[in-house]
Amino acid sequence: MREYTLLSAGSVVAVVVLERLWRTGLFRRPAYWVTLAISGFFMVLVNGWLTKLSAPIVLYSAEEVSGVRFPFDIPVEDYGFGFALVTLALLRWERVASKAPERRYPRP
Amino acid sequence: MDRFQYLWLLAACLVVTAPLELVFGARVWRRPRHLARALLVPFVAFAAWDALAVARSHWTWNPRYVTGARVGRLPVEELAFFLVIPVCALLTYDAFSRHFRGERAPVWERLARARATRRR
Repeated sequence: MREYTLLSAGSVVAVVVLERLWRTGLFRRPAYWVTLAISGFFMVLVNGWLTKLSAPIVLYSAEEVSGVRFPFDIPVEDYGFGFALVTLALLRWERVASKAPERRYPRP
Repeated sequence: MDRFQYLWLLAACLVVTAPLELVFGARVWRRPRHLARALLVPFVAFAAWDALAVARSHWTWNPRYVTGARVGRLPVEELAFFLVIPVCALLTYDAFSRHFRGERAPVWERLARARATRRR
C-alpha cells in the first residue's frame, strides 16, 4: 500500500541522516542549493518526458503511489527519489574529497 | 528510433552538461577515480531500490520506448540513469562550488578581455 510513497519519504529522511552522520556540511553550501534548484528544473523536463501519460516511458502501479502528479504527470514521489539520488551522490563526492583533497594547482 | 528514446534522453543530458566541464571549470570528468568512487554508493543503492520496486510492482517500463536489454530485472537505461543524473548534478555542483570559492574559469577572463577590446 503506497509503498513507493513511503520509500520516497523514507529516502529523504535517510539521506538527511547520512549527511549528519558524515558531517559533510553539504547543506550549508550555497552551491548545493543552487545545484538542487537547477537539477529540479531539469528534472521536471526530463522526468516530465519520462512519465507523461500520453506516451509514458515509465508506468506506475496505482496502488503504490499517492496519485498526486505535478507538474505535468510527474508523480510527487519522484521528487523524493530524485532528491535522494542527487544528494547522496553529492554527499559521496564531498566525502571522497575530504579523504583525498585535490592538489592546490591541478594539472589542466 | 522509439526504442532508444530513453537512451537519447540520457545522452541529451550529457551533451547539455558538457559545457560545465569544457567551458565553466567543473573538474568532474577529469577526475575519473574520484567520480567513480563517488558514484558507486548511489548506483548500488538505487539499483537495489529499483530492483525492489520491480519485484513489488511499483513501476514498469513501456516496451515501446526501451531497448529491451536488461541486467537482471533492470533495463540498461535505468542503470545508465543512475550514472548520468548524478554526473550532471556533480558537474553543476562542482562548477558552482569552484565559482563561489573564487576559482574563476578562464572563460570569464576571456569574456572580460573581449569586452574590453571591443571596437566602438
